[in-house]
Amino acid sequence: MDLYREEVMDHYEHPRNQGELVGDDIMTNRDSNASCGDMVQFYLKIQDGVIVDVKWKGIGCAITTASASKLSEYLQGQALQDLRKMNEEDLVKKGIGFEINPGRIKCLALSVNVVKKLLGN
Amino acid sequence: MFDPREVRKDFPILQREVNGHPLIYLDSGATSQKPKSVLDAERDYYENHNANVHRGAHTLGDEATQLYQDAREKVAKFIGGRSDEVIFVRNTTEAINLAAYAWGLDNLKKDDVIVTTIMEHHANLVPWQEVVRRTAVPAGRQGARVEVVGITKDGQVDMDDYKEKLKFKPKMVAFVHVSNALGTINPVREMTKLAHKAGALVLIDGAQAVPHMRINVLEIGCDFYAFSGHKMLGPMGIGVLWGRHEILEIMSPFLTGGGMIDEVFVDRATYAELPDKFEAGTPNAAGAVGLMSAIEYLENLGMENVRKHDLQIVEYTLEKLNKVTNLVILGTKNTELRSGSVSFVYEGVHAHDVATILDSEGVAVRSGHHCTMPLHNHLGVTASIRASFNVYTTKSDIDKLVLALQKVKQVFGK
Repeated sequence: MDLYREEVMDHYEHPRNQGELVGDDIMTNRDSNASCGDMVQFYLKIQDGVIVDVKWKGIGCAITTASASKLSEYLQGQALQDLRKMNEEDLVKKGIGFEINPGRIKCLALSVNVVKKLLGN
Repeated sequence: MFDPREVRKDFPILQREVNGHPLIYLDSGATSQKPKSVLDAERDYYENHNANVHRGAHTLGDEATQLYQDAREKVAKFIGGRSDEVIFVRNTTEAINLAAYAWGLDNLKKDDVIVTTIMEHHANLVPWQEVVRRTAVPAGRQGARVEVVGITKDGQVDMDDYKEKLKFKPKMVAFVHVSNALGTINPVREMTKLAHKAGALVLIDGAQAVPHMRINVLEIGCDFYAFSGHKMLGPMGIGVLWGRHEILEIMSPFLTGGGMIDEVFVDRATYAELPDKFEAGTPNAAGAVGLMSAIEYLENLGMENVRKHDLQIVEYTLEKLNKVTNLVILGTKNTELRSGSVSFVYEGVHAHDVATILDSEGVAVRSGHHCTMPLHNHLGVTASIRASFNVYTTKSDIDKLVLALQKVKQVFGK
């Protein structure tokens, strides 16, 4: 089916930017979906208002994992002031780039919510 | 014995397609589908008899009141109780809340014990937690407490642990008749007898039992029995709390206002007789009429046959799913002790991913914790998949489920 197309499955099976960042200049935050046991934590390294490094870790379904992976790629090199202008819908559309049926929207929203917390949106 | 393939024809929604495939509805444990006769009964109520019940001396008011009363008597006969012991509520959750608040807050105090089990639906755990919180004076101190009985590896209530917990001399013992997540049928008669011996009242959550087997509250011997209409072919928004007359008589009301009073003065009121005392405000009369029609439908099939069919489908499902690799089936292997559903984990694939792929093949199942988070934690499982059944479920539905699971294998390569 379309949702589990090659790109999504590739990000699920080979998630990009997985790991942790440590240091005083690292921003980190996490969120979870208690109802499915999923958890995602993002780490951002910021220099002069630009994200210079992104890592994330978490557990989740294919959609949660693939969307966190995709979003981590998108965030790399972005200016905070640009990201702060984006709402949830923009982050899903541009940052993740795939659509999902309403019953699974929480899987996409998990990573987006973590990033929104970090940006203070 | 009825043929579920014939039964299917009575359910209009089962004729539709989902994602280009015929709908295979295996989520009846969440809510059952409704036969046309139930839909017609509700429609007929609104088209021909609708008025507010117990109010106004006019023909429609009388007809509506009579239908509402007929529904109550139908329910009472169906479960072996008296009609003034049948309280109409919205659903099982509301029924348990009614008992927890109206009985619990008057009868439970500091250090009193409520015994329940780890396999409860949140509906039979959280209301008791809330009552416990409110018995703490001052707030934050230890009030009453909940003791939770464990389960065996086979997914049955651990009766040794149950007997241990009864030594706390609980005031209330609340447990599920059929587990919505494990499908286990609990030995409710024996558990009730033991609880009574320990001096407790017994409340049974019958939401997943009433749709599948003949229930007689007097034979069980319990004090409260709660269930929903919408899981037994009836409409949403109508449910039942059955309670023993002498307990209901001395209980405080749950909700207050219109309909439940005898006389009202500006500073006080006296309350109506049973069951009106517990039915404040305009009731869901149309829903009650729909539930009456659902019971007629089940009675026409025969509850013994309904259980026979349930058992056949459970057996067939276990047999078929056992042959699918990477599945871990939850609950007992003893099919005689199971009803209504089979839950499983697909190893290496998240339950929600499995459910979405099944849905793409037209197969509707439940995924998640099925409102049993403590049970899932206990099993060490974050989420599971549940296929659940009703009288229209056919062996071919189960075959389609197994076929659709092959699609999961294709997508995830395991």
